[in-house]
Amino acid sequence: MTDSPYLEAVALSKRYEDGVLALDRVSFGVRPGQIYAMLGANGAGKTTTINIFLNLIDPSEGEARIGGIVTHREPLEAKAHVAYVSENVMLYGNFTAMQNLEFFARLSGKHHYSRDDYHDILRRVGLSDDVHYKKVRGFSKGMRQKCGIAIAILKDAPAILLDEPTSGLDPKAGWEFCRLLESLRQEGKAILMSTHDIFRAKEIADTIAIMKEGRLVMEQPAGELAHLDLEKLYMEYMAGHNGPMPAEA
Amino acid sequence: MFRVLVTKELKAILLSPRFVGTFMVGAVLILLSVYVGIQEYRAAVDHAQTSQLLSDQGLQEATSWMSASTRAYRAPDPMTIFVSGLAFDIGRWTPISTRTGVRLRHSLYSDEPMYAVFRFVDFSLIVVVVMSLFALLFTYDAVSGEREDGTLKLVFSHPVSRAHYLLAKASGAWLGLAAALAVPTALAVLMVVVYGIPLGWQDWLRLTLLLGLAALFCGSFVMIGLLLSACTRHSSVSFLTGLMVWVALTLIVPRIGVLTAGQLTNVPTVAEIQGQREAFARDQWDKFMRDGIGRWQGNTDSLGEEALLARIQTEDSLRRQVETNISDYETRQYADLRRKSERRERLALSLARLSPVSAFQIGAMTLAGTDLDMKPRFESAMDAYRAQFTDYVGQRQSESPGAGGMRIEFNSETGMKISNPRDAGALDISGLPKYVSPRFDLAPAVGSLALDFGVLALGLLGCLFGAVMLFSRYDVR
Ligand SMILES: Nc1ncnc2c1ncn2[C@@H]1O[C@H](COP(=O)(O)OP(=O)(O)OP(=O)(O)O)[C@@H](O)[C@H]1O
Ligand SMILES: [Mg+2]
Repeated sequence: MTDSPYLEAVALSKRYEDGVLALDRVSFGVRPGQIYAMLGANGAGKTTTINIFLNLIDPSEGEARIGGIVTHREPLEAKAHVAYVSENVMLYGNFTAMQNLEFFARLSGKHHYSRDDYHDILRRVGLSDDVHYKKVRGFSKGMRQKCGIAIAILKDAPAILLDEPTSGLDPKAGWEFCRLLESLRQEGKAILMSTHDIFRAKEIADTIAIMKEGRLVMEQPAGELAHLDLEKLYMEYMAGHNGPMPAEA
Repeated sequence: MFRVLVTKELKAILLSPRFVGTFMVGAVLILLSVYVGIQEYRAAVDHAQTSQLLSDQGLQEATSWMSASTRAYRAPDPMTIFVSGLAFDIGRWTPISTRTGVRLRHSLYSDEPMYAVFRFVDFSLIVVVVMSLFALLFTYDAVSGEREDGTLKLVFSHPVSRAHYLLAKASGAWLGLAAALAVPTALAVLMVVVYGIPLGWQDWLRLTLLLGLAALFCGSFVMIGLLLSACTRHSSVSFLTGLMVWVALTLIVPRIGVLTAGQLTNVPTVAEIQGQREAFARDQWDKFMRDGIGRWQGNTDSLGEEALLARIQTEDSLRRQVETNISDYETRQYADLRRKSERRERLALSLARLSPVSAFQIGAMTLAGTDLDMKPRFESAMDAYRAQFTDYVGQRQSESPGAGGMRIEFNSETGMKISNPRDAGALDISGLPKYVSPRFDLAPAVGSLALDFGVLALGLLGCLFGAVMLFSRYDVR
């Protein structure tokens, strides 16, 4: 585990065209082999942060870096180093799960996967063989989510951005997903995840941050929170009992 | 990367029900239209041949060279099977005689108006109406639809350049469309060959160019669809806009071009021309008369006979001068009229070419030789033939001045005898020059064709550029 962060937000601010200040000078870093969980109420700015990392939107100020590459300056270069799972994975409905996997793998420049590799990864994310050749059109949200996770894993990028990846997953699938994340951490991926699932965050994250109204109000190593009631802490932050996070030394 | 995108696009299109529908509809229409075209072509060839034969027979049975007349038939061109253009509107034959000028009359539509009610559907019309619609159908949701489906976000979380993405969309749609066009067209051409329609190398070249033009035309509508898709957030909006643009480009812009040209350029009517000519003639004669009064003033009795004769000769030449002036004026007027109406035609076509639909139609008609030049081309060939005919008839008349008309002989023994040349047998027309329809020549059409190809290519690139510019700022979320 090196100390220099692979995913980095530097005084990131975003003001939307309608004037909403979605992000207010947010700074943080995610090192390789680290799982960084962002908690926060709806509209706190989590998705906005991830979208800036993917250059789906430009920051108003500051910058997001992936492996040192500034995302809005060299978006293609940056995107080659990051995989992404959205809160609601959407795939090509006319294609089967296999075809979707194949297309996105090739889009990531991965041409060497075999049919068996695709089957393996689909099984790994919890999709049984009988749906591998079914059109994605008929998939449930959870099944699509699993496909999305499979696509992200196939990309085999050093960084992974997960926007509420477990939304729509059943408890078993959620548990399996956590095991998957652990193995990815083992492989040294830098993982940034936004989530509403406090318990799971506490279970697997290395660092837990809380966002509120576009600002990072708390950032703590999970180990230090182990003995605390995270839910209570979260509620306190949401109620505004704690001020903004003091700048890190 | 680009190949991955194109492969996926092509796969998506070939598997989509849209493509199956497009292919079926296109195939049925093209095959049917070419089949009907072949039948029409054969009927036209038959018509021209038998009528020419009948007309030759009529000539043979004519009473005299003096009243001899025949007909010249416009030979059908096999390319009319694909692009009928004006072929059915322009007369099919002209009478050829020493007395009347050449004028093509009796078009198919005027002889058999039933066909004109719905007009023939040919390959070019299918491309214009059906293929352009399908091109829009393939592309209207290329961007907006994928945004709605949410797939755009996932695609652009990968290192994909937006220009590549658009180009891949365009290529996929265009290839799908080309397949839907090429397969039935190949079958249709095969049908033409099987039916034994004679196709020369120029015809094959024209056919190839026509297909190229059609491909370019489809390409420009693919780009229009992409452009619309990249300006809208919702596929329902892009669909509606696409439909409106289609109506504008196929139905409105070409007609507006023609109407505007009619408004902008002032081409005098026949009545105006006649009025001007009469006014000019009146002026000329008035002047001649007024000057005449001056010339004849004074004592003419004192003039000698010779001087008087000279006077009269001068007067005569002045009178002739006036006549020449008037006739020159008339010639100038007609030349001017022709120039003006040509300019108007050119302007109308140029304005109409703002729409790729007209550019394609004009190009296709030029290739098939069924464009605006069709009538003058045939008429000038027929004019040339009429000159030959008149020469020949004149020659024959001078050889046997007696032939023709009634012949009345007085003989002291037999009395009066009236004979008819019919008794002398039919006219010998073996030496009469035969009318040969002009072969279509591609060379003079190259300029106009280059313009059509150029307009289509330029429109295509313009739309592509616009689409890339718009899409570079498109919010893919
Ligand atoms: N396209 C947009 N235009 C204007 N404002 C936006 C836009 N997208 C998001 N916002 C605003 O930015 C703020 C942050 O939104 P964001 O989606 O980042 O929240 P979030 O933390 O992901 O919330 P959730 O937990 O509901 O996913 C919100 O106030 C939202 O209204
Ligand atoms: Mg969100």
